[in-house]
Amino acid sequence: MEEGQHDKKPSPPASALQFLEWFCPPKLYEGIEGDLVEQFQRDMSTYGHRKAGLRLWMGVLRFFRPGIVLRNRFSFQLIKVDMLRNYVLVAFRNVLKNKVFSGINVFGLGIGLAACLLILQFVMVELSYDKFHTKLDRIYRVTNDRFQHGKLIQHGTITYPTIGPAMAKDFPEVERYTRLMPGWDFNAKVGDRFFRGDNSHFADEHFFAVFDFPLLATQGADILKDRYSVALSEKTAKKYFDIVDNNYSTVIGKTLYRGMDTQPYKVVGVFANIPDNSHLQFDMLVSYSTLISPDNHGADDSWTWSDMRHYLLLKPGTNYKKLEAKFEDFSQRHFQGDKVSGSVEKFFLQPLKDAHLYSDYEYDIAKTASGKAVWAMLIVAAFILLIAWVNYINLTTSRALERAKEVGLRKVMGAVKGQLMRQFVFESMLISLFAFVLSAILTQLLQRPFNEIIGSNLSIWSLLSALDTKMLIVALLIIITGVLLSGFYPAVVLSSYQPITVLKGKFQRSSSGNLLRKALVVFQFTTSVALITGTLIVSQQLKFMNSADLGISIANTIVVEGPETPWDSTFIGRIETYKNELTSIPGVISATTSNNIPSARLGRIFDIRLTDQPNSSNATMSFLGVDHNFFYTYNVPLIAGRKFLPTDHNLDFNKITKVVVNESGVKLLGLKDPEEAVGKSIKVWDVERTIVGVVSNFHQEALQKPMEPIVFIASYGNWYPTSIKVEPSSLQTSLAGIKSVYERSFPGNSFDYFLLEDRYNNQYKEDKRFASVVNIFTGLAILVSCLGLIGLSSYTAILRTKEIGIRKVLGASLPSIVTLLSIDFLKLILVAALLALPVAYFSANQWLLAYAYRISPGWTLFVIPVLVILIIAAVTMSFQIIRSALANPAETLKYE
Amino acid sequence: MSKEYLGEFEELVLTMVGILQEDAYGNSIVNEIKERLGRESNLSAVHVTLYRLEDKGLVKSQMGGATNSRGGRRKRIFTITNAGLAMLRAMKESRMDLWKLIPQLKIAGNL
Repeated sequence: MEEGQHDKKPSPPASALQFLEWFCPPKLYEGIEGDLVEQFQRDMSTYGHRKAGLRLWMGVLRFFRPGIVLRNRFSFQLIKVDMLRNYVLVAFRNVLKNKVFSGINVFGLGIGLAACLLILQFVMVELSYDKFHTKLDRIYRVTNDRFQHGKLIQHGTITYPTIGPAMAKDFPEVERYTRLMPGWDFNAKVGDRFFRGDNSHFADEHFFAVFDFPLLATQGADILKDRYSVALSEKTAKKYFDIVDNNYSTVIGKTLYRGMDTQPYKVVGVFANIPDNSHLQFDMLVSYSTLISPDNHGADDSWTWSDMRHYLLLKPGTNYKKLEAKFEDFSQRHFQGDKVSGSVEKFFLQPLKDAHLYSDYEYDIAKTASGKAVWAMLIVAAFILLIAWVNYINLTTSRALERAKEVGLRKVMGAVKGQLMRQFVFESMLISLFAFVLSAILTQLLQRPFNEIIGSNLSIWSLLSALDTKMLIVALLIIITGVLLSGFYPAVVLSSYQPITVLKGKFQRSSSGNLLRKALVVFQFTTSVALITGTLIVSQQLKFMNSADLGISIANTIVVEGPETPWDSTFIGRIETYKNELTSIPGVISATTSNNIPSARLGRIFDIRLTDQPNSSNATMSFLGVDHNFFYTYNVPLIAGRKFLPTDHNLDFNKITKVVVNESGVKLLGLKDPEEAVGKSIKVWDVERTIVGVVSNFHQEALQKPMEPIVFIASYGNWYPTSIKVEPSSLQTSLAGIKSVYERSFPGNSFDYFLLEDRYNNQYKEDKRFASVVNIFTGLAILVSCLGLIGLSSYTAILRTKEIGIRKVLGASLPSIVTLLSIDFLKLILVAALLALPVAYFSANQWLLAYAYRISPGWTLFVIPVLVILIIAAVTMSFQIIRSALANPAETLKYE
Repeated sequence: MSKEYLGEFEELVLTMVGILQEDAYGNSIVNEIKERLGRESNLSAVHVTLYRLEDKGLVKSQMGGATNSRGGRRKRIFTITNAGLAMLRAMKESRMDLWKLIPQLKIAGNL
């Protein structure tokens, strides 16, 4: 109205007023701006243009205060709430109008998210191992590889007791070390009660300084320093001393005994139960100094006794790779093993954070899992989520035609692009919200079966508690980005339509949109085919391993843990009597004692050679100490010579002169055939012994591991477990008899047993778990992809209703129409399959490399997934397509 | 007296609205305070106070006429409400009551 009049006067700086307009509530804006301009005009005459402008800026800035800015919310919200109501209303109407599409969207996304949540629970727990140690990034495990004649013969974490002290002395980077020796069978006697084989370690006084295992009660500092002191876990303390009120200090100072030993052990500490996500698992620690006696300091200064595990705590800022580089000199300076066995030792450092997931060491005491499997699952989770989002994008944009008219009309009515975008993004957020709710419900429902399958006790809480802030932020960002992107792309596409074109009815779906949609379908099915192939290969390999001929009979075998009994001249006689009594139990076929059982990693002897060969030809074999019933009980075929006889045994280990080797052993010794080996004299542990027989190779360990050369020594010993072969029908009934024979023969030993087959198959636990998880999630991925396919195919069918009508009128047959409708999709799926196969082939081979004995994936393994996915896709689409194809043209065309 | 409490500046601004009648808006109040009391006040402070008084129902506002000097923007004119007047009166009376309690003679004697 009076707009033009102030032109003659210099106007106030526009930027200041713009700023004011930005933060000022619109309701108040005019009054405030007016006052400011009025003051500006006055200042103009008083101070001049420059200063007046400055004062105006100051004035504006002074208005930027809570008293003004916060007033915004009130009015601002009013507008927003109005529009929001409208958005909600429109979104709900749309969701309800297209129940099938919305259902597919919500269901697909929900499944995807639920799958993701379940996998993430698992993955996060696996990734959380040992994170509770405050010095995690400074703790390293010493590992060592042993080479003989340039060949790697041992890859382990077993080092010499001197490694820790020597490294601490030689390298200033080492702040502290702790040494550990597994104390496999610490059989405790408390009062007059016996407790078997608690998982115990010998650990030195630095242990609790390096690791953060909280102590609940202690007897002063350096608690594991004195000989014969033990620290117990909460659980063990409760078990041994019947603690009920968590008052563990009463346990301190109590005594317990080790088996039949009369030396008392004093309890000096109680530590909190070891968390599940610790790579070290133990219930009891015995002071390391217990191993060192005045007349035997081997545990302190031996360079050949390799049973110790070492952890180093490095000084802050140490580059462990640089330290590792110095180990070669270190090994040459100190290592004595080469003098004995001609072997070379290389030491390495493994960061503690890798101990759980990236350990492939022999004789490992760590609780390990496959890091590759964990990452594979994470990738699967990511792909399922991607597929679900892709579905959403696909379905939403494919309905563009339907929404185009709405968009056109809205634009004509004055809606701007921003508003439309907001509306569509809001809709996708609504769908996502439903999907989140659904996924929460699904996760809860599936939690129990999922836990059963993977054999652990996960919950959404294990996921949340394993998350640290960084990961939480990443996860939130991924979800937010996903929701926004999946809402954003359709929103951009939909809101960019020109009202003129769409309302004139000439609107066509753009070819670029089509291309993208096709690409997305291809992506989905590529993933599905790759996953199916993977599942097939994994399950084939598992089947192969489970049904493989082990070369040794482990079925129907009960293993009773070894007893401790006085080692005297009657020892062999007592064991023989015990075995005879066992075999007289009805249903028991035979019994044998051996220092190890199938499935266990055997010990190695590094200096075996034919007696007539020089020292330098020393070779390495695994060894099994077995009695004369072993080959009979385990049904190991003899190839040459004879099996052991009762007369081969001797209480004195050095007087046992008869050994048996397996086929690989014969080959390792450089002998031509088994016959030639029989009667040869070989040196084992520097004692001349005679090969009396050769047995065939068998799978001592799981099929991941190669069959090694083994030397069998006719020996008896304390702690040797008994393997008892029984009739399949007497597996249960014979147990009571076995128990009473055992208890009668070895008073003071607790009776513990297991089935060998279970123990052996336990080696495949990890693989089975991986297989079942991959199975489930492959199923889910296919389901979600198919949901998308249903949506797309039914939509195409609807679009082409009229075309089908016309074709039918012109005489097209039903099959030709079905072909017409499905061929496009089938082509896409075929492309997907072709893309997936190389990926699947490559990764399957990678995975199979971890198994020494493996299937070679044949072409069927790659054709089947393609066929399966084609059939699934065809069936999925057929309902919609056949319905459209069957529709009466009179109905579909009557509105034209 | 009502539960509402008025700050010193609030009371001052409210009084000015009462004095200025139809001409009570941001700038005029700032000027009036300067003229009558010689006190510099800040436009934004006055505005915020006015809105707060409006929230309390002591003044009300409507948009008035535009003038050239304001670049065509209308003024937001504030008028004191009955509640505002009652508040001013109540405050004045309570001050007077308190004033009476100060021993007057002593002061007079010292003068």
